[in-house]
Amino acid sequence: MTARRLVYYAGIAMICAWILVPIWLIAVGAIGGRQGVFLWPKSLWPREFSFAAVELFLRIEGVGKALWNSVLAAALTMVLSVALGAPAGYALARFAFRGQNAYRLLILLTRAFPIAILALPLTVSFIRWGLYDTVFGVALVHTALALPFAALVSSSLFAGIPRELEEAAWVFGCTRLQAFAKIVLPLALPGIAATAIFAFVISWNEVFAASVLTVRERTLTAYLLTVLSESPLHFRFAGGLVLILPSVVFIFAVRRYLFAMWGIANR
Amino acid sequence: MKLLKAVSAAALLAFATAAPASAQETVFMSTQLRPIEEAQKVREIILRGAPGNPTYVTEQPPQLTVRMRAEAAASRRTVSLVGALHGELQPLLPAGALDDISDVAARLADRGIPANLMELGKLGGTTQAYIPWMQATYIMVANRRALPYLPAGADVNALTYEQLKEWAKNVRERTGQRRLGFPAGPQGLMARFFQGYLYPSFTGSAVSAYRSAEAEAMWVWFKDLWQYVQPNSASYNFMQEPLMADEVWIAFDHVARVLDALRQRPNDFVAFPAPAGPKGRGYMPVVAGLSVAKDAPNRAGAVALIEHLTLPRTQLLTAAEVGFFPVVRADLPADLAPGVRLAAGAIAATQNARDALVSLLPVGLGERGGEFNKVYNDTFQRIVLRNEPARAVLDREAENLRAIMNATQAPCWAPDAPSRGACPVN
Repeated sequence: MTARRLVYYAGIAMICAWILVPIWLIAVGAIGGRQGVFLWPKSLWPREFSFAAVELFLRIEGVGKALWNSVLAAALTMVLSVALGAPAGYALARFAFRGQNAYRLLILLTRAFPIAILALPLTVSFIRWGLYDTVFGVALVHTALALPFAALVSSSLFAGIPRELEEAAWVFGCTRLQAFAKIVLPLALPGIAATAIFAFVISWNEVFAASVLTVRERTLTAYLLTVLSESPLHFRFAGGLVLILPSVVFIFAVRRYLFAMWGIANR
Repeated sequence: MKLLKAVSAAALLAFATAAPASAQETVFMSTQLRPIEEAQKVREIILRGAPGNPTYVTEQPPQLTVRMRAEAAASRRTVSLVGALHGELQPLLPAGALDDISDVAARLADRGIPANLMELGKLGGTTQAYIPWMQATYIMVANRRALPYLPAGADVNALTYEQLKEWAKNVRERTGQRRLGFPAGPQGLMARFFQGYLYPSFTGSAVSAYRSAEAEAMWVWFKDLWQYVQPNSASYNFMQEPLMADEVWIAFDHVARVLDALRQRPNDFVAFPAPAGPKGRGYMPVVAGLSVAKDAPNRAGAVALIEHLTLPRTQLLTAAEVGFFPVVRADLPADLAPGVRLAAGAIAATQNARDALVSLLPVGLGERGGEFNKVYNDTFQRIVLRNEPARAVLDREAENLRAIMNATQAPCWAPDAPSRGACPVN
């Protein structure tokens, strides 16, 4: 019994270390000073403490605004892709119609073209429509990228909710809409939330469209991440740390919904 | 549901905040000085008190081309001033994205910008397409610990390629490590080493003698050198990092890409010119220029900014802060930071070397400059890294090079002798 326990806890410790040690090493690189990152062998404890790199990173002009733009674009992407993707998913799950399989494939097609090829015509059109250099324009492109995911995931989600529940609601006098709102939606909500989170992440990480379509209204990735790779090493660690921490906190906060997506919490 | 409500509130806000910017500002988009620290110095120090209310935005070179062409096609502009390398501005001219700024050039006549640099700014035409902004070149940097291994009688400031090989060999034999390094990574500037340094030094040419017997011998020599080169070179983009990590002791790179090492540890490193070959000490100056976008939303602001950036005072500030050197007549101050002084010394030693052989940047290739670089990178990879026979590779790649030259009809540039029509690949 104790031997089994030991193995069990050792396993837990190993998995935690697997995640935490790299994050710790990034933190050491970020606060260990300019020279610290080049020391070899690496020490697990920084020789000098200096928050200068992290501070400079946070003080850069426009980081706050870029962060705000990133949040807005990601939130808009989330709303739009769920608003468009969930009905499409419901239709795919509940109705049999001609060309259903072709439609499924067609949805994926938006991801088949590399955005670098579409960049020039897209930018020209966006300028003509007045969407250029706006957060809304960026969100539209990101929605196009997130939509296949939203539609296909929510379709499997709705397919997993028994049709009989809905039919029972009809029998008891619900209209189609009421049945959907009162029966199906509550059951599907955790999964839809997970879809929304993934749309959020897709928008948060996308660089190329966001940087070609904007000049002043840049998202954080377009504003910083591209130049981060060309900056001195300790800045990369500082930037990495600043960008990792919020996402770790975010994932921790929404972990329940993430599991729901793989159908664990639903059963 | 609360989450959804919050999100839709945020969405509404996004519509509200997406308002057009003020008409007064001048958007200054640059492919240079992109790294965070440098961009920050441009905003806080170099552009402090500048006219035209500048907004400094950085951009990767491929995105710059897409954006400028798109703004030209849709004829609605946001960018007024463009700062980029000579080669990056070149494709923008035929795309109709650059304004004629001959009037600005006339106003800056008393700044003392050398005539040959101003001529480059015409991009092969008759009107001024850009005003030279700042210049740099490539240098060598060595850790002081490598100096004891210098071959007997070698002067680090007048090194030859043979001596470099012997030096790297000594280091390897006595420390057991391969410690010569080149920036041959995906973002590294290795192609420029071949075009501006190795080829001119060994063949006196960059294009015409591409597949000559001298070039073949040169590649065989370089392949032999590679056994003393740090194998991680194939992943280095900026040599300052392996230099500071002591992984590499002797390195070649763009001055801006080794400057951080010189700045951080000026007492540990020496900077010196690239070596000389049988035909001279090939070197390639790098020129960045300032262009005004066609139909710029704020042309007056852009012109005022060009005037500010080419003031001798601003140029010296640029050299001291970000390590790009003046294009105007201005003497570097004595109190320069030690790292910058090391770099400036190596550049001066390069320019004033008696056997100096200037290679200009490729002229007239337009948007095919990338393919031109690929020929040299591919040649290097096939001969040196993949052990293919030099003669066969040179013959095959010469066809690609010839196709680019014929398609663009680009005449030869220095050090190749001037040609009528497309530069021949003999």
